[in-house]
Amino acid sequence: MTGLALAARLARRELRGNLRGFAVFLACLTLGVAVIAAVGSLSAAVNAGLKTDARALLGGDVELQLAQRAASPEERRYLAATGAVSEVTRLRAMAVRPDDEARSLIELKAVDGAYPLYGTIDLTPQQPLSRALGNANGAWGAAIAQSLLDRLKLRLGDTIRIGQGRFVLRAVIAHEPDSVSGGFELGPRVMIAQAALGSTGLIVPGTLVEHAYRLRLPGGRDVPGFVTALGQRFPEAGWRIRSFADAAPSLQQLLDRLTVFLTLVGLTALLVGGVGIGNAVESYLREKVATIATLKCLGAPLRLVFATYLFQILVLSLAGIGLGLVLGALAPYGAVPFLPAVLPVEARLAVYPAPLLLAAAYGLLATLVFASWPIGIACQTRPASLFRNLVEPPRARPGRLAATTAALAAAGLAALVLATAADRVVALWFILGAAVALALFRGAAWAIMRAAALAGRPRVTVLRLALASLYRPGAATGSIVASLGLGLAVLVAVALVHGNLMREIGESVPQRAPSFFFIDIQPSQIAAFDRLLAGMPAVSDVHQVPSLRGRITALNGVPVERAFVGPDARWATRSDRGLTYATSLPPGSRLAEGQWWPADYKGPPLVSFAADLARGMKLKIGDTITVNVLGRDLTATIANLREIDWSSLNINFAMVFSPEPLDEAPQSFIATARTPPAEETALERAVTDAFPNVTAIPVKDALATLSSIVAAIAAAVRLTAAATLAAGALVLAGAIAAGRRRRIYDAVVLKVLGASRPQIAGSFLIEYALMGLAASLLAAVIGSIAAYFLLTRVMHTPWDFLAGTVAVTTLAATAFTLLAGFAGTWRALGAKAAPFLRNE
Amino acid sequence: MGRVLIRLDNLRLTLASAAGPVNVLRGISLEIEEGSTVGLVGPSGSGKSTLMMALGGLERASAGTIEIAGCDLNALDEDALARFRRDNIGIVFQSFHLVPTMTALENVALPLELAGRKNAFDIARAGLEAVGLGARLAHYPAQLSGGEQQRVAIARAFAARPKLLLADEPTGNLDGATGKQVIDLLFRLHRESGATFLLITHDTELARRCDKILTLVDGALDGATA
Repeated sequence: MTGLALAARLARRELRGNLRGFAVFLACLTLGVAVIAAVGSLSAAVNAGLKTDARALLGGDVELQLAQRAASPEERRYLAATGAVSEVTRLRAMAVRPDDEARSLIELKAVDGAYPLYGTIDLTPQQPLSRALGNANGAWGAAIAQSLLDRLKLRLGDTIRIGQGRFVLRAVIAHEPDSVSGGFELGPRVMIAQAALGSTGLIVPGTLVEHAYRLRLPGGRDVPGFVTALGQRFPEAGWRIRSFADAAPSLQQLLDRLTVFLTLVGLTALLVGGVGIGNAVESYLREKVATIATLKCLGAPLRLVFATYLFQILVLSLAGIGLGLVLGALAPYGAVPFLPAVLPVEARLAVYPAPLLLAAAYGLLATLVFASWPIGIACQTRPASLFRNLVEPPRARPGRLAATTAALAAAGLAALVLATAADRVVALWFILGAAVALALFRGAAWAIMRAAALAGRPRVTVLRLALASLYRPGAATGSIVASLGLGLAVLVAVALVHGNLMREIGESVPQRAPSFFFIDIQPSQIAAFDRLLAGMPAVSDVHQVPSLRGRITALNGVPVERAFVGPDARWATRSDRGLTYATSLPPGSRLAEGQWWPADYKGPPLVSFAADLARGMKLKIGDTITVNVLGRDLTATIANLREIDWSSLNINFAMVFSPEPLDEAPQSFIATARTPPAEETALERAVTDAFPNVTAIPVKDALATLSSIVAAIAAAVRLTAAATLAAGALVLAGAIAAGRRRRIYDAVVLKVLGASRPQIAGSFLIEYALMGLAASLLAAVIGSIAAYFLLTRVMHTPWDFLAGTVAVTTLAATAFTLLAGFAGTWRALGAKAAPFLRNE
Repeated sequence: MGRVLIRLDNLRLTLASAAGPVNVLRGISLEIEEGSTVGLVGPSGSGKSTLMMALGGLERASAGTIEIAGCDLNALDEDALARFRRDNIGIVFQSFHLVPTMTALENVALPLELAGRKNAFDIARAGLEAVGLGARLAHYPAQLSGGEQQRVAIARAFAARPKLLLADEPTGNLDGATGKQVIDLLFRLHRESGATFLLITHDTELARRCDKILTLVDGALDGATA
């Protein structure tokens, strides 16, 4: 303890000295900590919003969903006796202008008088919902999203047709408290009264409709208890039950994954900045070698010297970490104005200690990792060097104490990443990838320096000088190539992933995808539907299949809540799924395992299951799946597994059953068709005019929605990745600043020897251009490899090397390094010789 | 003859260099009595500084023995050597080597703090007053002249009452008058403390003030003059 107290005292005295070189140290640390703190704080704020508004987001304490059937009178009585009930019906439909010209896919929501049980719905102009939706003068009203008004070029007061019903547009929905509870939406919202639903004529057997019953339970009534009692009372009802604790599972999962990913990118920025931290510490300690030697001469043991300088660095790091935490904590306040455009949840602004503590821990550990090594090396300074009146460069390897400290800190950093990541597999790959990338860049930097040393003596003088500067003692080549290269690699990887995803969504998928999905085609309409499309020469590739909705309730007899379902397969059990039946293998499908049943099969129910889902649920041929369809459980044996290309957007079902008994159940048909873009409007109009209950879903609109989501995510990722590049730029700036005096000296001596300023400037520029080019090329290779693995192994998306993207990134980075180097050396060219030569 | 403080027996020291090993000290054997003053002279590159570093435990002998105050330096590890230096040896350098971020008082107190002495600053204050710098306790090295810095260094070297004081050209960076003051101070403090004093110098006049002169030529002793 006495030793630590003395080390702290000595450190305090040493901090009185010149700390100019620590600007880059502080900037690197502040940037990395700020990014991690900002991501964590913003995530916490949004999560708090999800939790605080959970009941309003869900629409009740608990929501019970039924697919394709409404609750029976007995079920309704039971629910009404339990608490306040609000019934909401959701389906997709078409809204048509009164002149039958423009039409649009809509997300239709019919609500009752009790809606909303929690939260408030805001309308423009302000009015009670009952007035906006009610029947006035024989006309029902509707509240709609502003985007529908714009799309159909309508105004409030106009009328739209939905199915066979007509509705007066009385209000625009400014805020809908439970907008996320319905999941992914393809069209703008239209809200009508429950009582008006019948007038549309849309609810017929087989319609893809969802009935939701939200309950406000009396105070003190526990949700789990209610759910248990409900399951016992109606064991085969087939409810999908959600409590307010799970109000928006898809959004929650997206938020969690995005938080993990952005935190890891922020951590990359911190690791890149760590190179700058190491450089700054090394540069600072170079000035302290005489002091360290003096301390050792006076009898200070190695441990004390190490502790003294480590204390100093840690105290300085607290300043950088503190500033980073302040910036990170303030980030949600700056982001909030932009969030409503991308998130349907209100972020709760506050200071959240947990993510800030985590960011501080990351900052501290990163400092220990990157500062211990140069401190250890400096502590190897031999006191005997004082007698020789020259500063002997310490040995290249630090002592055991420094190496152990750095290793323990690195292990701590890795453990913290693993412990706090929602996805441990991704975290593990990140740790391995970061370690490999750092080692690769360091190794590559060494190789570049060796290559420069072995390049011989080029005849061009400026090139010779530039090459010599790359590998001279104390050259910053290694740290510049490593830090700038790592930052660029992240940016290249992000750019390639984004570019490939957008190309897939914007080009590849549309080439293979149908133009429209038509849903809710009644069995009695299918023949007329076929005739209609057959009569349109521009229409091709018409496919149709029967469609029902069901929910997986058990796997091999084990209730799905208790069965094993891997994270990638959970989407299939979270809610109702579309299912169908067929006598033969659907076109475009490929059997991975097992056999298809005969066309005339009439035995016990069999099911063809998606191979990727089977893997996620550890199911094999012969296992059983139970689904609840229209309130009845159906257990089928897995007869075969199919490989499905979901990205084709053709009609694909995770579950295809043998015909009996589903062919007798109420059902509708789904059809797809292709037509040239110029004929899409005509096709949509022809079908929806002939069949008002049929909804046409334009695939390109769905892709546009998906594109905008991907673009928003990519923007967030790019912003965070830019922080990594900024860290690399800081390291570059620090290296340039540290070498400034040396450069000025070099320029002075060269001028004395007769070199012209263009020659001197040329050698500096070539040196930086070579470093920038080396870093960029390495980044291009490593970033491309990372993008390849992310796309093909994680996202299962085709990969294409986007040369243009990589070339632009590489050239921009080289140019930046060049400019930065030039800006840093410009002063050297004008330095007067005398002051430097006089001191010789 | 008084008690022997320093005993060297066939001391050899070889240093590695880019051009191969260099035999810097070639079989030096000598004895130095407690309380005596020794001038170490010789041409540049003769090994004077290396011999002083070996005596200070700052270079390890390649062969032979170094015994100071009955302690075999070859048997000590690096931390033990540091403790030995702290408790027994004071060193004055040509370039002073004060810690720039510490005041004169803190510089002098430093070896005492390293030894865990509770009254380190009291002793340091007295030491600075003894060298005439009682009014400059709070000054940093950059605020002191060359001569004042060397006096602080001398006070630091004597603070722990060492048995052996090593001075490597202590007046090399000082002008004539200041240098004489510093030398006079060194000899006075030596007399007052009773420490054995080993001084490297190129000044033959200064060397003659010592009890004994050792001449090093090519790493070996070339006779001794009292």
